[in-house]
Amino acid sequence: MTSNEQGAATAALVRTGLRGAAILAAGLLFSSNAAAGFYNDGKVLLTGGVVTIDGAGGGGITPWATISGYGTRDGINGGLHYTYAYLPNYSLNSYGGTVGFYDRVELSYTRSTLPTGSTFDTVGLVADILPGVVGDTGIQPFNTTIEMDVFGAKVRLFGDAVYTSDSLIPQVAIGGFYKDNKNKELLHTLQAAKAKDWEAYVAITKVYFPISTLVSITGRYTAANQTGLTGFGYKDRTAGGDGGSDKKKELRLEVSIATLVAKNTAFGAEYAQHGDFLDGVGVNLNGLGTAGILSAVADLDLDSLGLVSTKNLEKALTQHEDDWYDLFFAYAPNKRISFVVAYAMLGNITLTPDQHGFYLSTHLTF
Amino acid sequence: MKNKSVIATVLAAGLCSAAAMQSAMAGESKTKPIPGIPSNSLELFGGKQVVHEWAVALFYYIMLDRRINWMFREFGNPERQIFLNTQLETMVLGGPNEYQGASMAAAHADLNINMEQFNAVVEAAYNACERVNIHYWTCNQLIAALAPFTDDIVTR
Repeated sequence: MTSNEQGAATAALVRTGLRGAAILAAGLLFSSNAAAGFYNDGKVLLTGGVVTIDGAGGGGITPWATISGYGTRDGINGGLHYTYAYLPNYSLNSYGGTVGFYDRVELSYTRSTLPTGSTFDTVGLVADILPGVVGDTGIQPFNTTIEMDVFGAKVRLFGDAVYTSDSLIPQVAIGGFYKDNKNKELLHTLQAAKAKDWEAYVAITKVYFPISTLVSITGRYTAANQTGLTGFGYKDRTAGGDGGSDKKKELRLEVSIATLVAKNTAFGAEYAQHGDFLDGVGVNLNGLGTAGILSAVADLDLDSLGLVSTKNLEKALTQHEDDWYDLFFAYAPNKRISFVVAYAMLGNITLTPDQHGFYLSTHLTF
Repeated sequence: MKNKSVIATVLAAGLCSAAAMQSAMAGESKTKPIPGIPSNSLELFGGKQVVHEWAVALFYYIMLDRRINWMFREFGNPERQIFLNTQLETMVLGGPNEYQGASMAAAHADLNINMEQFNAVVEAAYNACERVNIHYWTCNQLIAALAPFTDDIVTR
């Protein structure tokens, strides 16, 4: 390349670079102008609620009719959230983002990761020692993990939860989730009918300032087992499948009551009704149901060696599900961050009882 | 003596009619939050004097908030606003209706106030409660009693 050619190439590079810089600057200018036009954080502290484990604006386990974030009807606001619940046999990690548009529409995404500790160790061990059980049960030698994507949308229909203090009309919103559970093999073992499903809800929320209390009632139309973490509905997957299936959605009640104790602090309680699709249902190990597994274990003659109690084993292979409760304390030092500390009482989750423990959540709002 | 008596009677009648007129022109009436606020809310607040102190604090915080202070600087007379707010808040908390200002709708009709600006005043109201040591729950009685004016004030 001659020096002239090099000079021309350099000039072209400079021109390209300048053009790129100009486009970038224009883009930044446009986006900052756009942000100035659309961005809004004008709601009063805590009135956007916190974020549920499903990612919707609301309490800890129950979506409210409020639109997440601090955006008023004049703009857009969003945030990121992370929730950690430490239970005897599980540790739920739920993280994602929400965006609220004009205090009307909310979109959310959340990834839930649920390491299950020792929950499925017994099932996994039985699967490993029984002859003829082959294939993937979804159970790892240690710490089987369930992962689920949750896409959410909510629309505020009418009402103002905060300011219509002289009216009985609450704020009402409808919303829905699409949940995609990634551990399909485990859901087959647990005999859930589906790994992916949608659910819909209606939320009614109102703040009663004279008693400094927020009340929110939600009706959720769903077939979820443990919010979908163990799939949706029931389908007998043992040989023959004579147990049939049941994946018909049902309406479940959820309630949040929060006492406002300061402009940035609330504490309260929540209740979420759960279904019983898998309550009392055993596991499926490649077509072998509980009875078959017990029989096969008995054939191994381990009982006589005192190694296995088939009585306890039957219990250990049977799932249960309970309604969820929690007591929570929410604190928002400013509009950029809030914290929730809760004690969650979730009862039986799949094979393990007494799943009660602490729940920590933080919501970063822009 | 007789003339003095006539003058006194005319003056008294005039005062009465002025008072009646003022009452008739009072631009707002007590709101009805659900559930109702306690009948002794004004007493819990500390009486009219504390309402006045609260209103002074309210405008202290309003005039420090760049989201809204320009509006009050441009359209409002803070001293007059404090005077009227003391009357209005005293009334909605259960005190006598001595409010001499225009209705909330009329007073805010041309200001093109949006929800963020309204919320900024609510935030100032809570800050003012803290400043004059009003308990948060008592402060919420005032918020409950003022909240029904929201749609009259927010027009954008």
